[in-house]
Amino acid sequence: MSKFNVLQHELVPEHHLISKEEEDKVLKELEITRDLLPKISRSDPAIKALEEIHGPLESGRIIKIIRKSPTTGYSVYYRVIADEVFK
Amino acid sequence: MTVLIFKDSKKNVELFSKETPSKYAVDFEVPDEISEAYVTTDGKSFIYRLSIGEKSTFKDSKNILKKKKTGLKSIIEITRIEKIEPLRIASFKKSGKKLGSFTNFDYVDLQSIKMSEKADYTLTLAPDIRDIIKEAKERNIEIPESLAEHLVKYKKDFSKKEFSELLDRVGKELSVNMIDPHEAVGIIAAQSIGEPGTQMTMRTFHFAGVREMNVTLGLPRLIEIVDARRTPSTPSMTVFLKKEYEENEDMVLSVVKELESTTVLDVSDIVTDISEMKLVIRPDKGKMKERLVVNDDLVSALSKVKGIVIDNSDGKDIEIRLQKESFSKLYQMQEQIKTLTIKGIPGIKRAIARIEPSSGKWVIYTQGSNLKEVLEVDEVDSNRSYTNDIIEIYNVLGVEAARNAIFNEALRTLNEQGLEVDRRHLMLVADMMTFGGSVRAVGRQGISGKKSSVLARAAFEITTKHLLRAGLIGEIDPLTGVAENIIVGQPITLGTGAVDLVYNGRRSAQK
Repeated sequence: MSKFNVLQHELVPEHHLISKEEEDKVLKELEITRDLLPKISRSDPAIKALEEIHGPLESGRIIKIIRKSPTTGYSVYYRVIADEVFK
Repeated sequence: MTVLIFKDSKKNVELFSKETPSKYAVDFEVPDEISEAYVTTDGKSFIYRLSIGEKSTFKDSKNILKKKKTGLKSIIEITRIEKIEPLRIASFKKSGKKLGSFTNFDYVDLQSIKMSEKADYTLTLAPDIRDIIKEAKERNIEIPESLAEHLVKYKKDFSKKEFSELLDRVGKELSVNMIDPHEAVGIIAAQSIGEPGTQMTMRTFHFAGVREMNVTLGLPRLIEIVDARRTPSTPSMTVFLKKEYEENEDMVLSVVKELESTTVLDVSDIVTDISEMKLVIRPDKGKMKERLVVNDDLVSALSKVKGIVIDNSDGKDIEIRLQKESFSKLYQMQEQIKTLTIKGIPGIKRAIARIEPSSGKWVIYTQGSNLKEVLEVDEVDSNRSYTNDIIEIYNVLGVEAARNAIFNEALRTLNEQGLEVDRRHLMLVADMMTFGGSVRAVGRQGISGKKSSVLARAAFEITTKHLLRAGLIGEIDPLTGVAENIIVGQPITLGTGAVDLVYNGRRSAQK
């Protein structure tokens, strides 16, 4: 419910919700558990915006972030939705 | 979309939020096309959204909740209730104008846009670039897109066999240049940023091209960025307008006026008349014309202040009396009215428009920052405008945008001083600061102070505090980091030291 689209802002890289099967694939490829991934808060504006598209997202879901990188063209990053983030 | 907004008591809201769907009797008529309602309890911010089902005229029947005891007109069926981020009255529009105030209830337009994701970058690549990446992948080489874009230009100069050979060589070169696993990238980054940092000028006051505006640069700014300060010492915004208004000078100047916050003191003189216990506000015609304020704006802004009586009978000077006469209150009121915002966006102290020499388009620079409200202005391009306040970007655009902001700001600060630092070091710093989902400072309160190892923390700062605490609660140090292994005299977990060897014995001997 906002007047601008957070996800379309130049500073915000692509955020994509990935399917649960894909989540397992990613974790297997990286050989880590969910809690070792970088976190993103549930109340993060980008997550709020994704929720408006995909419906409520429970914590533990993985978000695929495709960043435009000045060195490699683009780079893929993953963040896991967490209830609590470091303050 | 037309929606219903109404004011209700907290008690009533609690009552109808207990169970849904419920029937609720209200003291006004509800047209058929309304399907959504917003409720406010304090008259300022709307915090509940209701989905409305059936509507019917009020008849006295059982099992319905009532807003009031008398004067009820219709019944609405509340099918869903949810708590939302507070919406201000100004978010609603009535016949094309922003809503200023309303009584009891109203039907208004709510502007909202549909969220959509950015297109997947990998799908927007040209097919010949994708072919090269695919071809390289078959040969077990991962080629970055930027390199593939470069290679595409030369593909036609080579035969198929030669091109495969080229890809192989590129792959080899890439793997040589790739950083080794367990390399101490953090220390290299720290040194690479620290060394040029010593050459920075301590105090720099300069802002490229715009006069009359100071922005902190140089070392103080760099410290500000890595410390993740709540508010930077000179918050500033760069506001772009939507493409269609970018070259329209009149439009640009009107947006500047709309952004710049105007206080009562900016357009008038305030005189305290102690003998008659009143404040006299004398509007300055010239200043008001300059800032596009009319007398009514001034009066309506003043009418929101509580506890005063406004007298504007002669249409010139505005007299203000307190409801309860008291000298100290009168003084306080004067201070309060001085800083009262008549129009504009709170926090934006100044706004200057200028033509960007590189593109020939207008860009607005501001002193002071309020990202959320500026992005909500209709004429502003909400996809490009930004601020130098990193925490504000984190709050409005999220943690990934904050990471990009940290990277951009740090790189710009260093480059403006003529210092070349490899971008990868800054990326690492930005990644570390946003790793946990929020922006954390580098240093005692942030990354270094939150390390899991006791010895590493004790080696950094406030040694006794960490050791004492660890002793009290019985912390265990698994000795996985660098600092703690140096302290105990073991090989550090970097480079070859990071690899554990397991000897399985000779297979043939086991047989």
